[in-house]
Amino acid sequence: MTLRPLAAVGLCVCMLSAGSLAEPAATAPGLSIPNTVSAINSPTPMSQRVVHYEIDAKYDPKTHQLDGAETLTYHNLTGQPLDTFPFHLYLNAFQPKATWIRETKRDGTRDTSFEKWEDKNYGSDEIKGFEVVGQGELTSQLQYIQPDDNNKDDKTVIQIKLPKPIPPDGYVQFKIKFHDQFPETLERTGYKRDFLLAGQWFPKVGVWIHGGWNCHQFHGATEFFADFGVYDVNITVPQNEVVGASGVRVADTKNGDGTETYAYHGDDIHDFAWTASPRYMIKDDVYQGTMGPVALHIMMQPAHWSQAQRHDEILQNTLKRFEAWYGPYPYKTLTLVDPEPGSAAEGMEYPTFITGGTAWWMPKGIYLPELVIEHEFGHQYWYGMVATNEFEDAWMDEGINSYTEVKVLDDILGKNTSILNIMRVKMGEREQQRLGYIRDPDFDPMTRKGWLFFDYGSYADVTYGKTASVLVTLESVIGEDTMRKAMHEYFMKYRFTHPVPEDFLKTIEEVSGKDLRWYFNQAVYGTNVMDYEVLKIDSSPTDWWKPNFKESKKPGETEYESEVIVHRKGDFVMPLDILVKFDNGDSVREHWDGQDRWIRYSYDKKAKVASAEVDPDHKNWLDRNFFNNSKTAEPDGTATRKLANYWTFVSEFFGQFLAGWLI
Amino acid sequence: MKEKSLLSAGLAILRRTKRYVIWFFLLNLTLASMGAAVFRLNAGAVLNNSLESAKLTQGFDLATFIELLARPEVGSMQAMHASSFDFAFLFFLLTLFFLPGVFLGYASDHRLPRPEFFRACGQNFWRFIRILIFYLFIAGIPIGILFGIQKGIDKAADRSTNELLPFTLEMICLGIIFLVAMFFRAWFDQAEVEIVLRDQNAVRRTIGPARRRTSFGLWAAYLFIALLAGIFLIIGLWLWHSIVPPSSVLGAFIVGQLTMLVWLKMRFWQRACAVVHYEREQEMPVVEAYPSPVTPAGAVQA
Repeated sequence: MTLRPLAAVGLCVCMLSAGSLAEPAATAPGLSIPNTVSAINSPTPMSQRVVHYEIDAKYDPKTHQLDGAETLTYHNLTGQPLDTFPFHLYLNAFQPKATWIRETKRDGTRDTSFEKWEDKNYGSDEIKGFEVVGQGELTSQLQYIQPDDNNKDDKTVIQIKLPKPIPPDGYVQFKIKFHDQFPETLERTGYKRDFLLAGQWFPKVGVWIHGGWNCHQFHGATEFFADFGVYDVNITVPQNEVVGASGVRVADTKNGDGTETYAYHGDDIHDFAWTASPRYMIKDDVYQGTMGPVALHIMMQPAHWSQAQRHDEILQNTLKRFEAWYGPYPYKTLTLVDPEPGSAAEGMEYPTFITGGTAWWMPKGIYLPELVIEHEFGHQYWYGMVATNEFEDAWMDEGINSYTEVKVLDDILGKNTSILNIMRVKMGEREQQRLGYIRDPDFDPMTRKGWLFFDYGSYADVTYGKTASVLVTLESVIGEDTMRKAMHEYFMKYRFTHPVPEDFLKTIEEVSGKDLRWYFNQAVYGTNVMDYEVLKIDSSPTDWWKPNFKESKKPGETEYESEVIVHRKGDFVMPLDILVKFDNGDSVREHWDGQDRWIRYSYDKKAKVASAEVDPDHKNWLDRNFFNNSKTAEPDGTATRKLANYWTFVSEFFGQFLAGWLI
Repeated sequence: MKEKSLLSAGLAILRRTKRYVIWFFLLNLTLASMGAAVFRLNAGAVLNNSLESAKLTQGFDLATFIELLARPEVGSMQAMHASSFDFAFLFFLLTLFFLPGVFLGYASDHRLPRPEFFRACGQNFWRFIRILIFYLFIAGIPIGILFGIQKGIDKAADRSTNELLPFTLEMICLGIIFLVAMFFRAWFDQAEVEIVLRDQNAVRRTIGPARRRTSFGLWAAYLFIALLAGIFLIIGLWLWHSIVPPSSVLGAFIVGQLTMLVWLKMRFWQRACAVVHYEREQEMPVVEAYPSPVTPAGAVQA
């Protein structure tokens, strides 16, 4: 955990006061956080461990309910006494007046639009008992708080004030009994038919950072921020269930009552998720990582079994590139879940546990399963290990991950074909990210807190698409190799910590040796939009004024005065190259600092300008309009005719269909 | 002499009256081109002088296409769809208008003079509108119910843990709806033929007899032709994809239009079969509505 001085308090919106500390400090004796390393390929712990969760959970698939007993040991590394502790109770988000529902109904989210409320949507996480070891039963002292929006109906964060504070470097142990009701998956977590994806399912303590507690409510788009530690979780389910979870499975006990208990252990992780379904088919494989072998546990839907190898391949290829480019994957396992179709639990990330998303009919040229798997695996780095605050800096999590997604998928599947390559239709990942960016380029800066975006569209387009486009474009400023070195440096320096935006931006500046504030201020902190256009190209004979002048039809005989005007339409300033081509085959490459609103280039040549193009190497992915980046002297209507031909064909077909069936 | 099969007899009529299909094809192409004109003009303004357009010429870059549609200069998709829909609807109306002349031409053993053709069109236009209204009611209600049942089955199947079940059931349901719709189409084609050939103004009276005439044989002939149309469409699209180079607009146009021509021909084949079937089912000899055994010299043919 990165600890910051108290002076930074004002930067954190939702910090909760540590309260006045009148009582003498107290700590429970004999407590510690385990130094276990059985779930990682490292001889020593890799993170500063703050928490140790021990959870016994019993799940009933008939009622979709879970009874849990949680023992949380917390190590106070804040440097000051603590008497107040906030906890996430995120299953309470699935209630009609909760902030998550309000936001998703208002702004939309990736999966859900609410037309009506149904009982099956309901989810809850009730605290049945709350004891602080050495301080007694404190259930009645619990209070729901709403640090982000003051919505008194939101019960996703609860707070306890201890009678006695926990001293610096002291430990406290909470014994919590809780009861979960899972919703039918609206999004992210819950059940669908006989499938369960249990995410955000247990009371989880907030993060003390920047001199205060950071424990946000469950929001429409953001949900992750927690401290590293050790997890020991026992999951009891009916014997027919196939279970997968974060961490390493350490035991499997048949209980004699038709149930089975699976024990999992996780080191240096900050969350724990699991899944159960009686119908999973399992493919196990091993990836030989740089720190040791990684067991790949792939849990497929029966109808998707033929795609198990496809899942395995993209996972292995992705791991290989992340390890080579950014840093080692230290965990001993990775579980990839192919979730129940229609479950809205596709594309989720938890430590050492991710969900993909495919369909039985998915052809090989449509790379959506690859896209989702690569993206979610990327979160093992940008969220899992580099544990940024998703609520406040979502771009550092989803956005940096979208950038590495571009790099990895381009490398595996081809630059222009990494999303789609079927029946001559192609689409690359970087194009896909840019399409998101140009939809909503100017509503919100990347650094906006996740729940304060204009709407979900702006959140997604800026956080994913713009960030990826900003970082791809940054390569044109500092070079692709330097950018890769910077990413590697950032990962190695900040893994198992909670970095903030400046940590990332300064790392890039340090590695590149360049002052990039001009770029970051516009692209990261600003909402500036870039749009350079070739406004005009023109060539006219130099000797037009001479009597009896006649323009020669033969190339190279008439001298022309030519001009090219490039216009900066947007408010984003960026140096750029301009390639001017002449009809005799000559070309000139100009460089413009892009500062002024326009620039004119003039040429006296025995050739006319044939075309001019801004950013001829296509390195700039922030320009919102690629079509006006170039201009040709002679029109070429081939593309228009081709598209019009498609349009005509479809119109004819529709006309025939109408006339054929109705009369 | 052995009577020709329904399909063969229909095909013979189709061969004899190629001009109808050609005219309808040209009409469809012209109207569809007009429907696409808005898109052509707007897209041309963005693409024709931009090097970016090469991404659409050499292959098909979906991102570039999506970006093109997002450009304000191209205009709203809604407006462009509306334009295409308007012209498709016009094609439908013109088909409604000209079809009586086609039926009369199919029933005639000589080349129908243009005045007769248009007289049949004008005289039956309102009748065809009325029969269309009957058709929408009579076919629409059971087909609507079938779609409702399909939706219910989909919802029930969605609870199943067998992922393929909803799709399989949906395909079966759509197949059944297709077969039922084909029956209704054959039935009302019979009614339309009777309206024209018997000069029947009381269109309601054609519905019952047409239903009785709609035999399994006619329905099977319709189904066979429809399946053949599907196969030709698939072949056309496959040829388009596999033999036409991505940058060849002319090649794509030719293959696309040949596919549309064949597709259109299939429906006219069904109509020709309807006329043959009607004539064979009639106990009373059919009297041509407007006999014109001799075409005056110099008369312009339709």
